[in-house]
Amino acid sequence: MDDSTRLRESRMVFYRDDVARIDASLNELIQLSGARAALLVDREGHLVSRVGDLRSVDAETVAALVAGSFAATREMARVLGEEQFSVVFHQGKRDSIQLTLAGDRTILTVLFDDSTTAGMIRIYTNEAAKKLGGIFRDIESRTDDQRPAVTIGADFDVNAKDRLDSLFPG
Amino acid sequence: MVQFNLALREINCKVVYFGPGLSGKTTNLEVVHRKAPEEAKGTLSSIATESDRTLFFDFMPLNLGTVAGMKVKFQLYTVPGQVYYNSTRKLVLRGADGVIFVADSNPTKMEENLESLRNLEECLREQGRSLSEIPHVIQFNKRDVPGAMTSDEMRAALATDGAPCFEACANVGTGVVETFKGLSMLVLQKVKAMSEERLKSGTKTPTPENSGARAKPVETPLPGTRSEPLAAPRPLAIQRNAISMPETAAPAVAHKPTTTSVPIPIVPARAPAAAATAVPPAPAPTVATTTPPRPAPPPETRRAPPAVEPRATAQEPKRAPSPVPPQPVAVVRHTEARVISSGRKSRSMHPAVVWLAAAVVGAATAVGVMLALK
Repeated sequence: MDDSTRLRESRMVFYRDDVARIDASLNELIQLSGARAALLVDREGHLVSRVGDLRSVDAETVAALVAGSFAATREMARVLGEEQFSVVFHQGKRDSIQLTLAGDRTILTVLFDDSTTAGMIRIYTNEAAKKLGGIFRDIESRTDDQRPAVTIGADFDVNAKDRLDSLFPG
Repeated sequence: MVQFNLALREINCKVVYFGPGLSGKTTNLEVVHRKAPEEAKGTLSSIATESDRTLFFDFMPLNLGTVAGMKVKFQLYTVPGQVYYNSTRKLVLRGADGVIFVADSNPTKMEENLESLRNLEECLREQGRSLSEIPHVIQFNKRDVPGAMTSDEMRAALATDGAPCFEACANVGTGVVETFKGLSMLVLQKVKAMSEERLKSGTKTPTPENSGARAKPVETPLPGTRSEPLAAPRPLAIQRNAISMPETAAPAVAHKPTTTSVPIPIVPARAPAAAATAVPPAPAPTVATTTPPRPAPPPETRRAPPAVEPRATAQEPKRAPSPVPPQPVAVVRHTEARVISSGRKSRSMHPAVVWLAAAVVGAATAVGVMLALK
């Protein structure tokens, strides 16, 4: 792996246009399917984007648990000799959650309740996952000159140290 | 993997506490959670066994706040320390941006410390990474155990690569925050180094004019985190306190015609009024540069969502048979209604009504002509 590849794989940058396209897909998904909310989570558990009603949900914790759950499922598939389990479904009494792989790096997470059906969710989630996969292919296919640098202020680390000291004084 | 989300102006970093079983990883996380201010921390979640041993991981989000215009967030994880859970350890370690190795100061645990350190390097190697390229620190925990190894002994055994070391007694909360701060600074220095990559290779700070420049910058290797002093930021060719964040990528293959999202009329399952406005249009300027302008496809050709789409469209010729052809005016009005209301089909004129109106007008005309002839 050369240095350029290593660098590219050590960070992920979402530009505003990317997130707008992702949000459009997620909004379309929840409106067509009747889902309560949709989150896009990367494999490391970082939340990429979220839409819908998440007022009572700690989205970051859900994202971490989703990534863990999906990673465990993927490992299970590997042990069983399957290529992957691309969909994971957790059914509750009232609320349910479906996890679907979107592209290689992200997990499309759909929260829904009994006002819609698992079938509707599955149909539209598959469609949205394909669309999101296309968006991620676009992002990854950018050449270096199409990836504007992310430039942070020169005193970023000094400010960061101040913030850390104010969070944890003494 | 550090995530830069420029839409939310966020930087997300993943920090993992690694170490042998019962060395105090979860206790470290609990102390950080206890000492962090309420507004900065999220819920501390644990996937543990009934006897409180970590089964998969513990997790807590920590919001550092706004730093140089970006919201910096840490996701803190612990791994299960027991040898048995090697596969889950690898999963949690994937994509880590920083590692805190928690070692037990008890001399009888040194072999476990070394085994765990070897395991860490092996897990990273399997993921195509190495410990030397990841910011990491070593914590000598349980300094209060009787007969604890000296710091020098532990450093000689565990920090052969010169990693920063911290002493701690996590059970009483000492040294935990210092360890976390030390690692955080290394991670954030690396984040800054990533952002400087283009500057170091000679590329100007991007502006709307040059962000899509053709000149391909030469990527250079990341600097080693350990060789750089903590408080020695490199001089930059940018204004201090200024943050320059390109929020859009340069247009190119990112918006191929085949993958460009075309606004699609939405048939909502819940909120009809919101549906029509919820999907923003595709990025028009970029589409215009790669594809000829074309009208949005009519709703019928894109998709017919089940149970909501009216079936009258396909059946309308059969339901309104008439020997008299529909009047052009009526057809035009019908077409206009459909185009104007794309995405809001409930307001379009029903086709059967149009055909019926045309038939009535035609019949009246025929009767009028017959009367006139008589």
